[in-house]
Amino acid sequence: MIRFENASVTYPGGVEALKNVSLEIPDGQMVVIVGLSGAGKSTLIRAINGLVPLSGGRVVVGERDVTSADKAELRALRSEIGMIFQGFNLVKRTSVLNNVLMGRMYQTSTWRTLLGLYPAADREIAMQALERVEIVEKAYVRASNLSGGQQQRVGIARALAQQPNVLLADEPVASLDPPTSHVVMRDLQRIKRELGITVVTNLHFLDLAREYGERIIGLRAGEVVFDGTGDQADEHVFRDIYGRSLTADDVMEARAEL
Amino acid sequence: MSWQGPAAVLGFLVLTWWAWVGIELSIGEIVQNISNAGRIIEELLDPAWGALNNTYGPFLETIRMAVIASVIGCSVALVVGFLASRVSAPDVVTFGVSKSVMSVIRSIPDVLYALVFVTVFSIGPMAGILALILFNIGVVAKLLSETVDGVDPGPIEAADAAGATLMQRVRTAVFPQVLPNYLAYSLYVFELNIRASAVIGLVGAGGIGQFLNVARNAFRYDVISVIVIEIFVFVFVIETISIAIRRRLV
Repeated sequence: MIRFENASVTYPGGVEALKNVSLEIPDGQMVVIVGLSGAGKSTLIRAINGLVPLSGGRVVVGERDVTSADKAELRALRSEIGMIFQGFNLVKRTSVLNNVLMGRMYQTSTWRTLLGLYPAADREIAMQALERVEIVEKAYVRASNLSGGQQQRVGIARALAQQPNVLLADEPVASLDPPTSHVVMRDLQRIKRELGITVVTNLHFLDLAREYGERIIGLRAGEVVFDGTGDQADEHVFRDIYGRSLTADDVMEARAEL
Repeated sequence: MSWQGPAAVLGFLVLTWWAWVGIELSIGEIVQNISNAGRIIEELLDPAWGALNNTYGPFLETIRMAVIASVIGCSVALVVGFLASRVSAPDVVTFGVSKSVMSVIRSIPDVLYALVFVTVFSIGPMAGILALILFNIGVVAKLLSETVDGVDPGPIEAADAAGATLMQRVRTAVFPQVLPNYLAYSLYVFELNIRASAVIGLVGAGGIGQFLNVARNAFRYDVISVIVIEIFVFVFVIETISIAIRRRLV
């Protein structure tokens, strides 16, 4: 369970990215956050693993309070929360396997990390994570030699190698073409189903959000303006969330036809 | 037409006059002495190839000095370089201290280090190695810290999100990104060390430079010529190899 209690984030400079957000996300749910850019989607995601500190309120993940966690507690908390990114955030110069092993760092001692000597059990976990996203044959390839879709699957494998309870995805398909976007979203859906992991993801396109979100949360100027199922989120709702009429840019399929 | 241009020209003229008068530079003297160069140039153009055998030992010493100084200097610079970047420093105090130490080390020329160490440890390669180590730390740490400043922040965020410690983050997300550059900088200072050893040897810090100094004191310009040609060829070869390796790295 992830719980937001009147959570607020004000960035230095005065921008209020989140205003008094209260939410409960039960275990094993696939939640899609939608909203215009600047609405606070990335901030909301990063508040869950403490990459962005709150300026007010509380965020609790499982039994752990993110807000009051010290450095060591924060690392422990983050080790249970996998994260994937819009730009994949892989170390491009090194192998796929080394990238996935980064997901095992919390369980690995510092000296082993420094020497690159991950225990065999961790390497096995990393290989299994690669198998789950069907890219295990690329384990020893340099990350820079993979396509965008493949790189994002390595990103997912790295998150899975943490054996997390929660998976955060910040615009996971924004850098991918439509067919690859569906592959990655289906991967996330399958992982959620098979492993019972809670998935919280930001999406830009309303058709993707409706197709993959069990629950859709609409953000507008840092506030929750919609919280419901994909079926409830019709075009009226999206117009409300976006505060303007919809355009072809808001729909992936429409944009792909351009 | 503004007045700044003529004023600047006048300023430079006055400055030059002030410098000229101060060191009593006289054109007549230069013309008079240029004839002395005749004998020296003659000897330089007629290298005493027989001295080649005697230069073998000092040359080997120069290479050994450069190897040791590069390995030790670059290893220390690896730590200092990471501490001197905001991306990888544990806190602002460490960052500030490392940055200042780095600029102090770089502000002192290598010959001056050599002079000090020759005084402390007496004449020989030991003093030269220490001088080169400091020189290498200054150069490599500076270049490395600037490279670290410019790494892709994405993998760092990913390491943080996975619960990494600072050391783990630096090792897995930063180090692989800067490794090729670091190796290139290390090769580069090795090259510089071979060249620098000719100069620091003049003050007694060992290697080929010290042998050069002996020949100079004996006015053996034909021997000096051999040494200069040797240094030229050797630096050229090292540079060619190092450029080839560096191109494949980055």
